[in-house]
Amino acid sequence: MSRVNTVLGPVAAAELGFVAVHEHIGYGMPGSELDTQWWKTPEQRYEETVPKLRRFAEYSRGYGGCTFVDATGICNGRDVDYYQSLSAKTGVHIVAATGFVGGDTALRFFAEASVDYLMRQFVHEITVGIGNTGGKAGIIKVGVSRGFRMKELDLRIYRAAARAALLTGVPIFTHLAVDVEPALAVFAEEGLPLDRVLFGHADDGVSQGKVNEKAILGGGGRIGFDTFGYDLELPDPPFWGRHRRERLEHFLRLIHEGHLDQVLASADANCSPLGWPGVKGHTVNYIYEQLIPDLRQEGIDEATIHRIFVENPADFLTLTTN
Amino acid sequence: MKVTSPTVNTVLGPVPADDLGVVSVHEALLSVVPGAEHAYDITLDRAEIFEILAKKLTDFRNAGGQTIVDSTGMFHGRDLRLYEALSRSTGVHIVASTGMGPEENLGGYFLTPQTNPPTPWPAERFADLFGKEVTEGMVVPRVERRGAAGLVATTATRGGMTPTDESLFRGAARAALATGVPVSIRYGVDAVTELQLVLDEGLPADRVVVGDLDRTEAVAAGWPTAVAERGAFVAVDHVGRNDDDAFIRDAERAALVAELVAAGQVDRVLLSSNAVGVAKGHPAYELPYAHVQTAFAPLLASHGVADGDIQQILVANPRALLTVR
Ligand SMILES: [Zn+2]
Repeated sequence: MSRVNTVLGPVAAAELGFVAVHEHIGYGMPGSELDTQWWKTPEQRYEETVPKLRRFAEYSRGYGGCTFVDATGICNGRDVDYYQSLSAKTGVHIVAATGFVGGDTALRFFAEASVDYLMRQFVHEITVGIGNTGGKAGIIKVGVSRGFRMKELDLRIYRAAARAALLTGVPIFTHLAVDVEPALAVFAEEGLPLDRVLFGHADDGVSQGKVNEKAILGGGGRIGFDTFGYDLELPDPPFWGRHRRERLEHFLRLIHEGHLDQVLASADANCSPLGWPGVKGHTVNYIYEQLIPDLRQEGIDEATIHRIFVENPADFLTLTTN
Repeated sequence: MKVTSPTVNTVLGPVPADDLGVVSVHEALLSVVPGAEHAYDITLDRAEIFEILAKKLTDFRNAGGQTIVDSTGMFHGRDLRLYEALSRSTGVHIVASTGMGPEENLGGYFLTPQTNPPTPWPAERFADLFGKEVTEGMVVPRVERRGAAGLVATTATRGGMTPTDESLFRGAARAALATGVPVSIRYGVDAVTELQLVLDEGLPADRVVVGDLDRTEAVAAGWPTAVAERGAFVAVDHVGRNDDDAFIRDAERAALVAELVAAGQVDRVLLSSNAVGVAKGHPAYELPYAHVQTAFAPLLASHGVADGDIQQILVANPRALLTVR
């Protein structure tokens, strides 16, 4: 039986439809909740979020549905009962993540935890639920701390994630694909096939020249072009932005080189950011409003688009134990 | 013009300083290691937590205690609505604190912000964050502000101050200077040098309490006397802890206090236990909040400390510290 954990319960992979594989309902660094400059009323949060999800659902009608994978880790403002209400009211499937965006987003309690403890935390959130929401995580987030170097805590989280993935069948996605060698070593040691791992943000502006694509692709890993829309052409781009054309060409190159099965794409947008201003105008719907037209313009056919946004993510998200 | 009498900020609002009575300045009500609230195997049953804390506060009041200071800062389990309800139902004044520290207790928002490069917060931003918890009210994260903080509490890393610890100390001092509430520091490796950091910000020494001065190394180094001589409050604040070589024992604490009193420093001494009402994510530390009054005060008397001096230490000194200036 093929199933994927969403916040409202398991669904068959065939029900996922069009998948935005790395997005955020709202992301904030741990501690940002203490700074009132970012606070929003619940009315404002729903007002900023619901129309984006509804539009995403409308755009996705032709695909038979849609799925929003939330990449917000533990301690980053992940808010599962809120996601449940959003999903129930908009019809968008929402997949929540367990894990951490990186070691530098794990608060002290987890920063001091063992691999075993972290694994149990992840497994619990995948098989029993997150907090007392009953919502189960469908994916594990891991990542590289600031500075482009894998830290000891980052690797402890990677190892715990690998073990939890093997036990439960959920996939892993990473924040950043830089300094990937230590991560590949951990996955190899733990025996996790690399097609269960999406190496994310391989497309961002600051990572270029630091991503060992050969090692990732050669090992069978999946590669994430998941910051589409953080374009340097924006009036106030974030520091990880990149020229739109350059990112697109990079993406097309991998497709043309025969890696279609290994690529995934997303926008990493915040519906309503929690602890930062966000990037004005950037939403999950960039995928429909800019990226897909760009791909069509470049001669990418509908079957390929289907592969990138429907088949590949369904394959990736399906609970898989060997 | 209305004449206002001096007040202290409690979770239920400003209270006349003369109403505080016996005060314990360094205690914890609900203590949660940052992140532990998300742990799969830790439950936070509010009703149960309330019941435990209410019992402990009632015992404290029955032993003559009237005011508890929760000195755990803004990011270690502080729960303002719980504390308000506890204060209303037990009649114990609760002073809650703002501040954070040491660095390892901070969230990434302050240490690796989403800027390039990810420069940690400087003192000025901490000063603003903590100061607003006094002038605008303490935060219930992402929901609302409540009453004013009565104290800015911070702690240095045990292995030695980090640059962010220094920003926390300086920020705490600036917030205190701007708002009139006192500062509590728990030292890392050198009580006197670290005290100097907050004094360098222009904060008068009598607005500062230095905690952890009953650590064995602190006593050996003579820091309780040195801190008192600089005019700051000396917190002998692990009263009741008698099974840990890192700290002196109660008999030695009594001798230390007697020594400070004899040296004319009775108005610089504070006593507390660092008891933890409810611990989540770290080992429990079960000690009645009233231990200072019930067990330690008699011990002080037996060391020759006069009743009037004991009253000064339990009532007048914390009142002087906590009164908003
Ligand atoms: Zn992201």
